[in-house]
Amino acid sequence: MEHLILVKNSGLNRLIHIALVLILSLIAVKAHAVPAFARQTGQNCVACHAGGQFPDLTPYGRLFKLTGYTIGERALPLSGMAVLTSNSVKVKDATATGHAEDGKPIFNTASLFIAGKITDKSGGFVQVTYNNYTGDTGYSGHTGSDNLDLRYADRLIDANRDLIYGFTLHNNPGVQDVWNSMPAWGYGVVPGSTGAGAATTPLLDGGLAQQVAGIGAYAYWNKTVYAELTGYRTGDGIFSFMTQGNGGQVNIKGTNPYARLALTHEWGPHNVMVGLTHLDVHQYTDTTSHSGPTDHYRDNGIDFQYQYLLDPYTVTATVTRIHENIDYGTLGTPSATVDSLRAKGSFIYQAKYGATLSYFNLTNTLGAESRGWTPEVFWTPVQYVRLGMQYTKFNVDSAGTNPKASDNNTLFFYVWGAY
Amino acid sequence: MKTAALTMVLAWAAITAGCTTTENSSRNLGDPSVHGKTLAEQVCSDCHGVTGNSINPTFPRLAGQQAWYLSAQLKEFRGHHRGDPAGFEYMWGISRSLTDAQIKELATYYAEQKPDADKPENTKLEDKGKVIFASGIPGEGVPACMACHGAEGAGSAQFPRIAGQHANYIVKQLNVFQSTEGRPNAAAMKVVAHNLKPAEIKAVAAYVSTIETKWPPHAEN
Repeated sequence: MEHLILVKNSGLNRLIHIALVLILSLIAVKAHAVPAFARQTGQNCVACHAGGQFPDLTPYGRLFKLTGYTIGERALPLSGMAVLTSNSVKVKDATATGHAEDGKPIFNTASLFIAGKITDKSGGFVQVTYNNYTGDTGYSGHTGSDNLDLRYADRLIDANRDLIYGFTLHNNPGVQDVWNSMPAWGYGVVPGSTGAGAATTPLLDGGLAQQVAGIGAYAYWNKTVYAELTGYRTGDGIFSFMTQGNGGQVNIKGTNPYARLALTHEWGPHNVMVGLTHLDVHQYTDTTSHSGPTDHYRDNGIDFQYQYLLDPYTVTATVTRIHENIDYGTLGTPSATVDSLRAKGSFIYQAKYGATLSYFNLTNTLGAESRGWTPEVFWTPVQYVRLGMQYTKFNVDSAGTNPKASDNNTLFFYVWGAY
Repeated sequence: MKTAALTMVLAWAAITAGCTTTENSSRNLGDPSVHGKTLAEQVCSDCHGVTGNSINPTFPRLAGQQAWYLSAQLKEFRGHHRGDPAGFEYMWGISRSLTDAQIKELATYYAEQKPDADKPENTKLEDKGKVIFASGIPGEGVPACMACHGAEGAGSAQFPRIAGQHANYIVKQLNVFQSTEGRPNAAAMKVVAHNLKPAEIKAVAAYVSTIETKWPPHAEN
């Protein structure tokens, strides 16, 4: 079986390579074009993305997603994205896991997106990612399913009421959310960025990404109250297309609930959101099995987002606090708690020049903690290319390569491109 | 479990496939059969508000605007003749496949909506703007706004409504008229705005944004 997957993947790899070459040559030839959703609406990135920067959404971008990616008219539903990176750790150790290529420029990752409206009420995006470099063993050349979100949505609107409701099928808790205080879209989103180091994060922060299938229903009333209920199950069987090529499958027991409630308000050029998230997951202790004892994760999150949008300035600020309780299925293993506090503020001028400052504080009873800051500056000379530099400063990094936290401070440079 | 999963997927597929033709909630900008009012509610409302009274000043208030002016602007966007940055970034694509009939329906819809205005908040600045609005700046060859846009700034069959427009939008458009060729069909405004200084633009925009007009416009008192 494993052999089969490898064979399939190498074929897929070749396909991705060919696609990439095609995309890159298209960029060279037809540099004024933009990715699939922008082609569908005919608008610039700045319409849906705050200050024209990924992944922060504007109020309009959020409504575009909530109404099922259906605004506009059908266009070529393909986009590509590639990221080149280079990093430098203060005290280098090339023999440490994930640091074999430190200090060298690398072609980190590339994605192919199939994205757009399907019918007048349904649409979505499917991302397939080729990870040229995984970090643990240097170059790996590995292709797998990445984020995916397929929707059906409708909207009842007139002068007195506005109700958007819909259904989503996706593969990463939080990827369906439209605010950037959700971990899936909030922190360390540039592929290869240092993020919060190797500290333990709650399950809601990527722990089930591309491992599960979620089917949810949501409603957004009068641009004020957003409510969602989603159930997650193991992404195998007919859902395996959503989790292909991502290593060992995480098995969770039955249907695991996720609930989300958010309140939003907009005035002048400002908008705010305050939200609550709950995720309850029973994961099989023996990850290769579909039976036996389970580890029980309960995540409770509270998050906040503020945005200011008025040309030439864009400000987005987010704060996300998640508390997780874990009861282990293995007899005698004590319960654990995992806490995550992350915050990020970004300032963008003329949709071209930007700076962000992120803070992370991950604490837990498992002994893999980190705390620190990441300032970043970036430049978007044209809307489909971004160059950025981050510096991650660790005050605490108990899971890092070097025992002294500040020795793990990392400078990170990237070039991002999408078409 | 497999049966349950299959049922869920089939249900989702059925919902997706089954409800594709309800034209009264379509967001399809390439379908000429969708009525302009539907597009106004389903798409345009995202930025301009369902009654054309937008919240973020990036997007102009359209409520109560002269229908002929709305039609003309949509055609300008569609034909790529209006090239101010926001117009290009947001409106060229959105308007690219609108039919003349849809444009007329959109224009009628917004012209019939009751317009909002900003609450006065800086009387000193607004009073300074009111003087320019009512009398112009004779020494600098700047005519009174009300001479063309009307005593209430409500517009006419030849001139657009400016009353209650977001101050930030007015400032940006006056700058477009003054220093760019982004709106070639508003040549008159290039001359009018030529000698306006930044502080004067700010003042007149602040005043204009607070003008409330009687509604409906032709109602008998």
